[in-house]
Amino acid sequence: MSEIAAKIIVVEDEKQIRRFVRSSLEEDGCQVFEAETGKQGLIEAGTRKPDLVVLDLGLPDIDGVAFIRDLRSWSSVPVLILSARSTENDKIVALDAGADDYLTKPFGVGELLARVRALLRRRRARGESGPLIGFGDVQVDLARRTVTRQNQQVHLTQIEYRLLALLIANSGKVMTHRHLLREVWGPSFVESNHYLRVYVGHLRQKLENDPAQPRHILTETGVGYRFQQ
Amino acid sequence: MIIGNEFPPRKNQAPPNGSGYWWALAACIATALLATPLRAYLELSNIVMLFLLAVLLIAARFGRGPAILAAFLSVAQFDFFFVPPRFSLTVSDAQYLVTFAVMLAVALITGQLTAGLRLQAEQASRKERQTHALYEMARDLAGALTAEQVSAALRRFLGENLALEAVLLVPGLENYLAPVILPDSHFQIESNLALTAYKQGEPIEDCSLSGYGYGSLYFPLKAPMGVRGVMLVAPADPTPDTLAEQKPLLTTLASLVAIAVERLHYVEVAQTTQVEVVSERLRSSILSALSHDLRTPLTALVGLADSMTLARPPLPQAAQESAEAIREQALRLNGLVGNLLDMARLHAGHVTLRKEWQPIEEVIGASIQLLARSLTQHPVRVRLAPDLPLLEFDAVLIERVFCNLLENAAKYAPPDTSIEITGGVAGGFAEISVCDAGPGFPQGKALFDMFVRGVAESARPGVGLGLAICRAIVEAHGGTINAANRRESGACVTFTLPLGSPPCIEIEEFETETDDE
Repeated sequence: MSEIAAKIIVVEDEKQIRRFVRSSLEEDGCQVFEAETGKQGLIEAGTRKPDLVVLDLGLPDIDGVAFIRDLRSWSSVPVLILSARSTENDKIVALDAGADDYLTKPFGVGELLARVRALLRRRRARGESGPLIGFGDVQVDLARRTVTRQNQQVHLTQIEYRLLALLIANSGKVMTHRHLLREVWGPSFVESNHYLRVYVGHLRQKLENDPAQPRHILTETGVGYRFQQ
Repeated sequence: MIIGNEFPPRKNQAPPNGSGYWWALAACIATALLATPLRAYLELSNIVMLFLLAVLLIAARFGRGPAILAAFLSVAQFDFFFVPPRFSLTVSDAQYLVTFAVMLAVALITGQLTAGLRLQAEQASRKERQTHALYEMARDLAGALTAEQVSAALRRFLGENLALEAVLLVPGLENYLAPVILPDSHFQIESNLALTAYKQGEPIEDCSLSGYGYGSLYFPLKAPMGVRGVMLVAPADPTPDTLAEQKPLLTTLASLVAIAVERLHYVEVAQTTQVEVVSERLRSSILSALSHDLRTPLTALVGLADSMTLARPPLPQAAQESAEAIREQALRLNGLVGNLLDMARLHAGHVTLRKEWQPIEEVIGASIQLLARSLTQHPVRVRLAPDLPLLEFDAVLIERVFCNLLENAAKYAPPDTSIEITGGVAGGFAEISVCDAGPGFPQGKALFDMFVRGVAESARPGVGLGLAICRAIVEAHGGTINAANRRESGACVTFTLPLGSPPCIEIEEFETETDDE
């Protein structure tokens, strides 16, 4: 997949989970370092200069969110969270603290690899993507601010366009409701989730083949949205 | 100067009736007796001064009436005993008429002024005592920890200071005002009047017995946040119309008591909330610890089985299949654990709903996406009425409902039949149905109860929690859920969510072409 093996740090206290995550990532051509505790993970992240951190939210020594805040103060390395389903709120807090994506336990190797690849691709492609983005039968020209679908111009309002551009710019990454509202509508709208939901609905109506079963603007229920090319 | 031990009612300001007048008479006679031997040494004009002094003292001590009597008596005695010819009321020298007139005028005016001063002093001291008593009661109320203590402070104040009796009525169960402390037997409580005062927030007078001057007053306890009860006040003895006069004071009193009762109410609320918060926190920490402990081994199982199937070089066919089976079983177990934990959470008490206004379409899409694996043989068709408004619900929980319903449908419907989700508005509710082309539900089963399965011990996995969870979630949202069979073959589960009034969304003022370079 890549010339140089990507360096990945796996911070997880459960040995068996660490083991299979390691073996499947190595199978995929990555170089994996393990850390059993949060403190150890931070030290590894500081010395190894990884391309990705896979982080279990329920660590025995430090809170996962504190880990992310600490890491974010000196590094922009992508962070993939592993968490149990019962804690939507923990995911939101972790994502708002700077995590890039999450996987709900239990997860399969396929899902893990897909998320890891997407995050690594994003990191490599940073700043290199051209102004033209295509997904499904839609073409977006970020330079000319035009959206076409099946070669027909699609009319978007300013807010719709801003929302779409933001989602595209963070392709593959989970964006929390709060984050999207702050970026598109402004800080005073961070609690107005219904705005976001209605506008996402508009975008799906205009850009998705079946708005009820979207393929590109995906819902992460209780958390936010994810754009997928 | 304190007279009596209680607030004297306004009318009885003077000391015991009559005695003042006797004192006035006595003072005048004493002055005359005192002055007679001094007649040889004193000018008549100075003797006038002695009489004026007597009038002044009487006025200061006994008030206006005795002072007037003393004034007239003084003039008469002066004329009779001292002005020549003595022992007669006739006057030889007409200039003494001026003396009499001035003497009378001075006596009356000083008497009047002095009496006025005395009255003011008396009023001031009464005010002070009243303020003091009110202050003491307010202090008692501020320190009260129970409604009984509030009631006791109020009764003590009214009993000691106004000779009144009072009962506090606070709302009990079901529209009923209950007395805090049971009153004495002669106390009559008209529940209807109390309830009216409570509801209208206005004081109400019970006139039924006012013929005897024995009426009672119902004061609503109006506190800043609402009416907290009723204060019923009645005279301790059947004395006429003291109640009406004390109304302003009693109104003040009622508001003091109201604040005390409200404070107690909120203390109670705060305590209950605190206990609830603590137990809620305990419950959710137990559940999430349980969830973590059950899911961790499942995660390892799924992951390890997965990495076995992907191992290079590939495992023999049989081992591959075993790994696949382990994975499937672990995932099924995970679903079961999820359902059990959800049920525990939903049954543990209040479900905290994170309700937000949102289109239902989005959650449907998310559920289909989540179940993509099990829905491969069952295409889902979604048909929602275009006028379906935003609904207020907890997205995570409603997603569970859809997942459970879709999972059921996929489990029972024959392969390559479609599942239909329809939505519309019906009488204040949004109505959403999930229908399949399976065998339908068996008749007469309490499908939505826990651990009830359509077909007992069937080969299909499950313990019968799915629909029970759906019901708990839908009912927590104020909706209903029903199962029915379609006329053609197939099962249909329909649930409703209340419409409410969605928040308005400011539409952008104008549509801008995006190519506005």
